[in-house]
Amino acid sequence: MKIRDLKWLFGRNSEFWPTNIKTGMWAWIGHRITGLVLVVYVFMHLSFLSTASISSGDFNSLMEVTSKPLFVAMDFVLIIAVIFHAMNGFRVIMFDLGLGVRHQKLVFWIAMAIAAILIIGGLWALWDIIFVPSEGGG
Amino acid sequence: MPDQRIATTKVAGTWAWFFQRLSAVLLVVFLGIHLYASHFMDLGEHESGESLISFDDVTLRLDQVFYIVVDYGMLSMVLVHGLNGLRTVLFDFDMFVKRKKYIDVGLWMVGIVTLIWGIVILFPFITGG
Ligand code: HEM
Repeated sequence: MKIRDLKWLFGRNSEFWPTNIKTGMWAWIGHRITGLVLVVYVFMHLSFLSTASISSGDFNSLMEVTSKPLFVAMDFVLIIAVIFHAMNGFRVIMFDLGLGVRHQKLVFWIAMAIAAILIIGGLWALWDIIFVPSEGGG
Repeated sequence: MPDQRIATTKVAGTWAWFFQRLSAVLLVVFLGIHLYASHFMDLGEHESGESLISFDDVTLRLDQVFYIVVDYGMLSMVLVHGLNGLRTVLFDFDMFVKRKKYIDVGLWMVGIVTLIWGIVILFPFITGG
């Protein structure tokens, strides 16, 4: 692959140059990135569990570690990725069904508003664990 | 690029498109049950006043066939959806379109092996450790 073959990706006139990217394109990029992040997460999840499901001691000590604020903060990042991906996914499915096709931008912002509410709900649920230190030193 | 992307939708196929949507909708259902069951529902566990999910909590939950079906169903759907999504991404690149057969066989193998792996991971809980 030659450098100039990548002009469609990095060139100033490419549709990927930040100022050339329109709302729908940002949605697509975000959907793709979150989708790939979630695939990586699934495999990490299985790896962790496979080392811990053998005995009750292993499992409980893994839960001990993963309930530390840093890990729960990472859970929150996971929540953001899933919610964005799912809300935009619904938008894609709507268009496939022929719903709202003429108002894609509006539908995007409605989906993002719902996503924001759900994400705030998630933050509210995790707030104490992430930010309030526990007696045990977290 | 745009015309290439339309072309790759043809590469991926209508079934891939259909199952991507079907698995997405099922995932939302499974995720809802999963979140509720693991973090909000009270199974009468946590008797020790301990708020962490313990090995025994999971064993208790997986005593019910319903949750075994939910867990394995969610695993299957996540693999169908995730790997199929990865396939879509790969087929946006010519170098992978040219090797379509290998990609397909490879992703099927990854999927089946991971499914078996995931099924086995839960055995200790199902048999009660
Ligand atoms: C929670 C519910 C979910 C919904 C509603 C959803 C919805 C969708 C939809 C509709 C698509 C197709 C987009 C298109 O063809 O343009 C898609 C693509 C994708 N999804 Fe999901 N998804 C969900 C969860 C997940 C999870 C858990 C993963 C990871 C295992 C994942 C990974 C992917 C990937 C990698 C793609 C391909 C991205 C692309 O083609 O750019 N999704 N999702």
